[in-house]
Amino acid sequence: MDNIFASFFTASFIALVIRVGTPLLFASMSAYSADIAGIPNIAVEGIMIFGALFGVYFSAISGSAWVGLLGVIGVGVLCALLIAFFTMKMRANPIMVGIALNLFAADFSIWLLLVWTGSKGTTASLPSKVLPTLEIPGIKDIPVLGTILSGHYFLTYVCILLAILLAILVYKTPFGLRMKACGLDAYAAQSVGIKVNRVRLIAIIMSGILAALGGAFLSMGYLSIFSNNMTASRGWIGIAANAVGQGNLLVVVLTTVVFAIAQGVVSQLALTALPSELINTIPYICVLLGLIFLSVKEYRKAKAR
Amino acid sequence: MGETILKLENITKIYPNGTVANKNINIELEKGEIHSIVGENGAGKSTLMKIIFAIEQQTSGKIYYKGQEVHFQGSMDAIENGIGMVHQHFMLIPSFTVAQNIVLGSEPRKAAFIDMKEAVRRTQELAHKYHFDIDVTEKVENLTVGAKQKVEILKTLYRNAEVIILDEPTAVLTPQETEALFAQLKTFKEIGHTIVFISHKLGEVKQISDRVTVIRNGETKGTYAAADVTIDKLTELIIGSKLESSYDGLKKPVENPQLILDVRGLSYSESGVSKVKNMNFSIRGGEILGIAGVQGNGQEQLIRAITGMIHFQDGSVKLAGQPIERLNILKKREAGMSYIPEDRMVDGCAAQASIQDNLISTYYRSRDYSGAVFLKAKAIQAKSAQLVERFSVKTRSPKEKVSSLSGGNIQKVVVAREWNTQPKLMIAEQPTRGIDVGSANYIHHQLIDMRNNGAAILLVSADLNEVMMLSDRLIVMYEGEIAAYFDSLHGVTESQLGLYMLGVEHQSEAEIKGACYDA
Repeated sequence: MDNIFASFFTASFIALVIRVGTPLLFASMSAYSADIAGIPNIAVEGIMIFGALFGVYFSAISGSAWVGLLGVIGVGVLCALLIAFFTMKMRANPIMVGIALNLFAADFSIWLLLVWTGSKGTTASLPSKVLPTLEIPGIKDIPVLGTILSGHYFLTYVCILLAILLAILVYKTPFGLRMKACGLDAYAAQSVGIKVNRVRLIAIIMSGILAALGGAFLSMGYLSIFSNNMTASRGWIGIAANAVGQGNLLVVVLTTVVFAIAQGVVSQLALTALPSELINTIPYICVLLGLIFLSVKEYRKAKAR
Repeated sequence: MGETILKLENITKIYPNGTVANKNINIELEKGEIHSIVGENGAGKSTLMKIIFAIEQQTSGKIYYKGQEVHFQGSMDAIENGIGMVHQHFMLIPSFTVAQNIVLGSEPRKAAFIDMKEAVRRTQELAHKYHFDIDVTEKVENLTVGAKQKVEILKTLYRNAEVIILDEPTAVLTPQETEALFAQLKTFKEIGHTIVFISHKLGEVKQISDRVTVIRNGETKGTYAAADVTIDKLTELIIGSKLESSYDGLKKPVENPQLILDVRGLSYSESGVSKVKNMNFSIRGGEILGIAGVQGNGQEQLIRAITGMIHFQDGSVKLAGQPIERLNILKKREAGMSYIPEDRMVDGCAAQASIQDNLISTYYRSRDYSGAVFLKAKAIQAKSAQLVERFSVKTRSPKEKVSSLSGGNIQKVVVAREWNTQPKLMIAEQPTRGIDVGSANYIHHQLIDMRNNGAAILLVSADLNEVMMLSDRLIVMYEGEIAAYFDSLHGVTESQLGLYMLGVEHQSEAEIKGACYDA
């Protein structure tokens, strides 16, 4: 037992957290970027499934992981346009559209799997490619730091870079201010001449790409195949992290890190004799605690008023 | 006078559903004037403003701006050409700072980024230039209503507005804030800005404007120099007929009046703060008891205590001899109480429900409208059609949502519903607040009609004129107590009441005792 606890304070555990945290951060950024512009995207999970599946498919038929990645981005944009069409053009409730897309993705992906491979389980029979891992020269040889920072999957670095870019976009640019304005009061935004639908369209496309990349990370790096239900509710965890953050990107990211640590703990404890069913609940209990924390805070705020 | 800056020529607006909102409207705005536009709710003022601001497009007619015909494609076009609008409901984002709200949509940039320092500098400079005392780094949610309005005005000035449209700007302001706003508007005028001022408050309109245009039923009824037109004349133009200056002629004595409402020793405190202190008064059938007072002196709590929306600690309330303080609201209504609440949108109606549903919402349980299982649709439709007709609610169908009506018409729906139960006691709380003179006059007539038919009416209003015109007897409340009682309004002046309202004077206990009839 002692060495299990000791293992939580090692460089390789931090590296593990970064690895399992990558898809979660993609998911929470996806939820965040749509939400602050006023179109809640609860289809993150569904888009991740499509991202994971199409990444494998496009890389297999093209023979190139990079073409696969382009395909993933295309799928993300397509899903986003679908959401945008139904919510903005047809005035459907975004929650209903999200539910529809999630259900569609869960089942349609299995059907595609069957058509492409003849199996309902995995794409193991497809010659798909994975995106490379990157060793950072100079850093990789530094003892502890090298283990933590170097040797991650390509998309992990992309994810961190995108998080920084998203923060700059939201907090430092006119477009970010307008995004927030559209989310907080669309009429007010419109009254100063902001084209609300255009801002929201861009935000939802960003959201779609981020979710799809999160899916691709799972099937083109973390694993090298797509398997049924491989997203395992990571999209929903991202939505929860975004809810806890309440429009503050830093809090969203920190909440995601807490959820990622919980996932890391699960991976470590899986090696012990503890019942795996119990261990697997840890991240979800964390999410639950996060949401309880949020509602208590909201309740206090409402009471203070 | 000066040159014309904005000219509307034969503007007509017909909505796709056939509603004619504006008919051949002609208005000329001169540079550097304050031009008021007055009219009843639903007369077409808002539509006209939306057309100027390019939120809506006119069906026919021309708009000339600075001598040239213009076709603005959207409000962005209007803003860029120097037309600004301060909406009745603020278009501000509470969690943004003042500076962020002002620059939103036309942010100063440094490369691809917002130059927030420059934004703060520019907005602060603008505030100084126009003598707005405001900290631009403060979040809007922490500002008072008056300050929020200043931010709205600064927004238009930041966009170099030359014509500023203010839609009922004083509706939400305190008298002091209104004075400050007017002083501000006069300085704008001096430096050449043109102000379009929309309001129901004719006193203010006369005080601030150079010229006034009256709109009735979508048509202009002329433009007048404010100095040359009286408030009575404006009222007449707005509603199309003369209003009586006194209701005394309408009131009829009621024979053998019964004691209806008897309130004894009513006290109520909220978190240890005493709000209503030992109130005693009674009302007979066929009379209107008015309660005057500066808002916040316990009137609201008194009404909530009597209607059962809060539980009071001490005292008794009898309705036609029956103690009602322990009854729930439904039972109170069954005992003959009716209530027109102060806030029609929160307590008075369900805005998203139909007019018809709202009209029966307090008595749908009655056997007339409700069978063993189902509601009686035909009876309900017939009743609502009758009420809509009787109270001249302006709507295409009783099935429309209440929220689609103008304020005056929503209030008519509330009054119609409360009238329909033929109550013994009608509690009318600010029954005409924020609605146009025509609808207000109509509602006054209904109240007097109910009084003449034997109902007891308890009227609370912050509008002194209203209480004085309607009441048979009058109480002045100050700090939760009766400060004065008058058993007749003859010879009582506003300034006399003002002294009691402000707590400068207080009647003796013997004088106040008159508020109660001995049982």
